[in-house]
Amino acid sequence: MMEFLDQLWSLNLDRETVFGLFEQGLVFAIGMTAILASLGVILCATPIYSALYLIVNMMCLALLFLLYNAEFLAAVQVIVYAGAVMILFLFIIALLGAKKEKRDLSFQNLAGLGFVGLLFCELLMSMMVGETKPVEGRVTLEVVQQVGSAKAIGIELFSHHIIPFELASLLLLVAVVGIISLAKFSNKQLRKRTRF
Amino acid sequence: MYSLSWLILFLPMAGFLGLAWFGRYIPRSVGGWFACATVGGAFVVTLLQLVQLYAENPADRLNHVLTLYPWIVSEGFSLNVSILVDPLSVFMLLVVTGVGFLIHVYSIGYMHDDPEYLRFFSYMNLFIFAMSLLVLAADFFFLIVGWALVGLASYLLIGFWTDKKSAVLAARKAFVMNVIGDVGMVIAAFMIFEHFGTLNYVEVFKAAPTTFSSNDDGILLITFLLLVGAFAKSAQIPLHTWLPDAMEGPTPVSALIHAATMVTAGVYLIARCNALYMMAPFTMYLIAAVGLLTALFAGSIAMVQYDIKRVIAYSTMSQIGFMFLAVGVGVFSVAMFHLMTHAFFKALLFLGAGSVIHGMAGEQDIRKMGGLRFVMPVTFITFLIAALALSGFPLTAGFFSKEEIIMNAYHAEFGNFVYWGLAVIAVGMTGFYTFRMFFYTFMGNTRSPELRPHESPRVMTAPLMVLAGLSLAGGFLGPWTHDFLSPVFGGAVPVHHEDAMLEIIAVSAALGGIVVAVAIYMTGKGQLAFVKQMLAPLYELLFNKYFFDEIYDFLIVKPVKGIGQFMEERAEKGGIDFSVDEIGRQVREVSRGISMWQSGKVRMYALNMVAGMVTILLFVIFL
Amino acid sequence: MGSEFVLFVSATVFSIGALGFVIRKNPLVMFMSVELMLNAVNFLLVGYSSFLNSLDGQIFALIIMTVAAAEVVVGLAIILTIFRTRHELDVDHINILKG
Repeated sequence: MMEFLDQLWSLNLDRETVFGLFEQGLVFAIGMTAILASLGVILCATPIYSALYLIVNMMCLALLFLLYNAEFLAAVQVIVYAGAVMILFLFIIALLGAKKEKRDLSFQNLAGLGFVGLLFCELLMSMMVGETKPVEGRVTLEVVQQVGSAKAIGIELFSHHIIPFELASLLLLVAVVGIISLAKFSNKQLRKRTRF
Repeated sequence: MYSLSWLILFLPMAGFLGLAWFGRYIPRSVGGWFACATVGGAFVVTLLQLVQLYAENPADRLNHVLTLYPWIVSEGFSLNVSILVDPLSVFMLLVVTGVGFLIHVYSIGYMHDDPEYLRFFSYMNLFIFAMSLLVLAADFFFLIVGWALVGLASYLLIGFWTDKKSAVLAARKAFVMNVIGDVGMVIAAFMIFEHFGTLNYVEVFKAAPTTFSSNDDGILLITFLLLVGAFAKSAQIPLHTWLPDAMEGPTPVSALIHAATMVTAGVYLIARCNALYMMAPFTMYLIAAVGLLTALFAGSIAMVQYDIKRVIAYSTMSQIGFMFLAVGVGVFSVAMFHLMTHAFFKALLFLGAGSVIHGMAGEQDIRKMGGLRFVMPVTFITFLIAALALSGFPLTAGFFSKEEIIMNAYHAEFGNFVYWGLAVIAVGMTGFYTFRMFFYTFMGNTRSPELRPHESPRVMTAPLMVLAGLSLAGGFLGPWTHDFLSPVFGGAVPVHHEDAMLEIIAVSAALGGIVVAVAIYMTGKGQLAFVKQMLAPLYELLFNKYFFDEIYDFLIVKPVKGIGQFMEERAEKGGIDFSVDEIGRQVREVSRGISMWQSGKVRMYALNMVAGMVTILLFVIFL
Repeated sequence: MGSEFVLFVSATVFSIGALGFVIRKNPLVMFMSVELMLNAVNFLLVGYSSFLNSLDGQIFALIIMTVAAAEVVVGLAIILTIFRTRHELDVDHINILKG
């Protein structure tokens, strides 16, 4: 063990480089985990496992957010998604009962696979443009670090994006009203129209 | 004062629209008198125009164009809604609104019991409006509009009793025949526009002598096509078959439209376009020949018909033939003079016949009448006056006008001896058929006592008396007419030809006709049967109107029907209908296939969405 | 790690989400797949916000999260309602959208 460290030292790697390499490895590992978890979401036959894999996926993404200097969003991701939304999912699964789903190679699935494969290739083509050169933006890393991520977002939100923010609040209100009307009132109308 | 002339158009139009829209809210009597009042108002305004014209020098009386508003203004073509006030239009309007007013008043009595009394009056007002428009038009466009509108009014009024099948068929026949004429008119208008670049009367007539030389192809064609319209409207051979059938309409309609005014529109048209016709002598010969032929032809048929209104209808054709003869020999104002006197006595004849029919409870067959002179004294006397005027008895209105036509048929610019001789024969026929009808109707003993004939009410006899006065005295208006109209016809006043020899022959022909009628119909039954037997083939020919309807049926109606039937079976059902149906069917099939796309399955929709996304990204990346 | 990594991860997760949405029959899993897709997009936005030195991407991601939360809540309510009437959860058997 000590020899290995000595060897590393002898390569004349300074602290920064080592931490950089470590961070890159970490990011890569987390990204791969996220991909594997998302595969788990769609491949598990039982919804409960899908939900758990989704939680893993979201946690990984929250970690990635952290590593990309978005502390506030990482917190929101954990609290809103992994916390509230997924709890909701689990509740519903518990309520409706989780049933295994049969897999088959129907036309629908094959065609879906083909189309999504094409889509994936097309999306990967966006990588052909190469690395993005950092530009001198309005809010540099230093500024964010000075005031803190949450505060910086708050300032930005209330200065430049106030209308989308208010619209989002309106959207939530509408969603609340919609849920109440869906959950509260009887659904005779729906039943009448349904063909069994 | 000329600025008031739009009222002549406006008043009957207001009457028409008012009765058509509000007719159901006003009492019948008020509506009828309202219709009369609008026509009477138009007559008064026309009189004002006459006074105004008299206030000017004869040479200044022409071309008073009142532009109401510009309708179409474009590069190289402009069309104003305008009115032409000149001696000819005012003269014609006096006849139209004057006689029209009398007939309106008469209709109040005649149509009194009709359930659709106000519809009748609204149509009558429409007719007066259309006729005024025709007369007052300052260009060929509105002439054609009025021309078509009088055809429409005629159609509506002939078919007024819509539950009478023969009336509806007659209306259709009249409309179709008139449309043939309208087509000719429209083509003529196009040709006029091509040659002159305008439709305005004043400009066209001014430019005519410099644009064409005499008997050019263009002017011959234009005049001939206008003539087609005139022939159709005035029921001249070969477009005459609608007029006798048009007698299916109410009798005031026959009097107003099919005797006094509308059918003379052809004469008016030729008189109006005299500047064009004087440059086309060939067409003039055609007019005179057709006019004479019609006069003889219709007169001969009238001698054997038994329906009182048909006799008068054929007589109308014959008299219009005389007018065409007059314009054909180039004496336009004589034609207009005869038009006026004819309007008086022929309207009177029709109204008298209407009075007889009214009194006989709708009976029209003269064999069932007779002896009416005692029960209908006013009708009897006025009818006698009209009959005398029609046959040209000396010192009546018809005598003066007809005598001038016959004299001019020989002496005028285009006249010759043949015209004169044939015209004299036609005059003899006129006397015969008029008095044959008269004797059948009023003399002898009554043949249908069960019908209880009775005299008509005062509202009907009063117009009869006015018209009778005009039929007697109208002849003395001749010199005034020629003088008044002379500016329109290039200042020409027809010379009164002093030719005692010809005149005596003509008058004796007229009297001879009457005498023959007396000899056959007043002296016992024997002669009638004898004459009928002697001339049996001729009688057959005349009674069947020279088989004109049958010939048309064979030559035109049957082949057209056959072609139509063939086309319906082959082209319509097999071709057009089939292809249209097939397109619809195929669209339905294809959309049934496409509608399977809408499976209702969310995953399928999602798949389609993904496919769409892939396609759009393909475009984004590779294009 | 650079922007290519971000692109790769988000494209992969997005495609997997799309695949899941197309091939799965359980509406709950389909919703989860939608969440996957939304998360992939969020990651892209956050990553590029860091590369471009701008907070706009993060704010966009924040609003997407709001929308996703609302959508999930409404969607789950709808699933619940359908289940109450039909007592089964297979989207292939629900075809009242058919015209």
